[in-house]
Amino acid sequence: MDTALSVKGLRKSFGDRTVLNGVDFRVDSGELVVLLGANGSGKSTALRCVVGLTKPDAGEVKIAGKTSAAMVFQQIHLVRRRSVIDNVCAGGLAGLPLSRSLAPVLFPKELKERAMSCLERVGLADRARDKASKLSGGQQQRVAVARALCQGAKVLLADEPVSALDPAAAKQVMDLLAELAHEDGLAVAAVLHQPDLARRHADRVLGLLHGEIRLARPAGELSESDIDALYAPDLVVEA
Amino acid sequence: MKTRKYLTTFGIVAALAVAHVFAWRGAEISPGALADGWHGMARFLGEAVPPDLDWATVVQPGLEACLVTLAMGLLGTTLSVPIALALAVLGTRGRNPVVFQLARGIMSLLRATPEIVFGLIFVTAVGLGPFAGVLALLTHNIGVMGKLWSEAMDEVDPGPADALRVSGANGAQVVANAVLPAVVPALVGLLLYRLDVNVRSSLTLGVVGAGGIGFLIYQSIQLFQFKQMATYILMVLVVVIVVDLFSAAVRRRLAR
Repeated sequence: MDTALSVKGLRKSFGDRTVLNGVDFRVDSGELVVLLGANGSGKSTALRCVVGLTKPDAGEVKIAGKTSAAMVFQQIHLVRRRSVIDNVCAGGLAGLPLSRSLAPVLFPKELKERAMSCLERVGLADRARDKASKLSGGQQQRVAVARALCQGAKVLLADEPVSALDPAAAKQVMDLLAELAHEDGLAVAAVLHQPDLARRHADRVLGLLHGEIRLARPAGELSESDIDALYAPDLVVEA
Repeated sequence: MKTRKYLTTFGIVAALAVAHVFAWRGAEISPGALADGWHGMARFLGEAVPPDLDWATVVQPGLEACLVTLAMGLLGTTLSVPIALALAVLGTRGRNPVVFQLARGIMSLLRATPEIVFGLIFVTAVGLGPFAGVLALLTHNIGVMGKLWSEAMDEVDPGPADALRVSGANGAQVVANAVLPAVVPALVGLLLYRLDVNVRSSLTLGVVGAGGIGFLIYQSIQLFQFKQMATYILMVLVVVIVVDLFSAAVRRRLAR
């Protein structure tokens, strides 16, 4: 398997609080890796460093493919007033001239077609013309996944993608992320808060504690004691 | 701990009470004067009814003046948009502190100076008439609308912009496809609110000679033509209600 994302020696401090203390991991094409860890363990910061939303103090991030990594968020972050298809198109604006990207009416036809096929991939092509705010939370998260796909990245990151969703919608989104890894060959890394979901959907599980990877297991071998060690309350440093 | 809380509450109430006593004296409040003088008011109002509805001398000039008032309110609002927008963007948080303070400072200065003062200043420059009124409204409005817009922009959720930035979109693409769609409804809502206020403010500007229906009201009072004044006030009532309904309807649509 070829490595699509490799992270080496990632460090980040906010003031005198060290959030990432030398994080190393890789994600291969075709696998879904889940990052587990208590609040403040550095999971989200690690993803934000990979996509450049947070600037790491040190470390190296290597990503396969022409574009940067794509990302979906817990808060979904769609433009609620715009249509579903326009939101998906917005993921593919990189490199377009301003004259074709300042408003949805200017978006090129190829972009719209690509967005439409991304929507088909997440099973929401029939809602393309609806306003994003009209969709349920789970559907909106799938639109956000389609927007990330429209970017054409080989690496897809997901920061607590299902924390705001009900169990059925959460399962749908996790199934989708697993399919994108297994069928479409993307390298998918998701931060989760639910060990059960990790067991059910992930190929591999990484555990973060105090800004370091302390656990790396195939999801099938994840034990209760592994999880207890990650979430043990006496080990959590209160910020 | 509890005693301290009670003492604080007591202190605040006492301070408010003292402030009201001073304010009462400072404003020369005298219910007796109001009671003694009520028939003056009654006569004034009695002379105002029925309103004078003569078409050629009152109603027609009144309607024309209403249009001038609306025009002043409209232009005073829309012409202030470019500078207000620029100052609003410069006055959003997270910018260079010098630029931020300068932009907010300019807006505060324009906001603190009443339209009527700007009116007096501009009348000396361009003479009596609606043009001076438009200039006065737009100058003051730059300060008020700029500040309201700045605050609306500060409140925008940065999430959608982050999402686009991650995908590799450049600054202009992020603003056009994430920031503006989120903020424009709020900006338009505030713009309509200011239109509503500016139409009403242009009435008072009539007093300093800026024209419109406000000037006719002022003139009719000066000439003791209270029946004409009543007609004009009824017209103002209609104008204000219509503008208010219009802006409320548009804002409701935008909120959806």
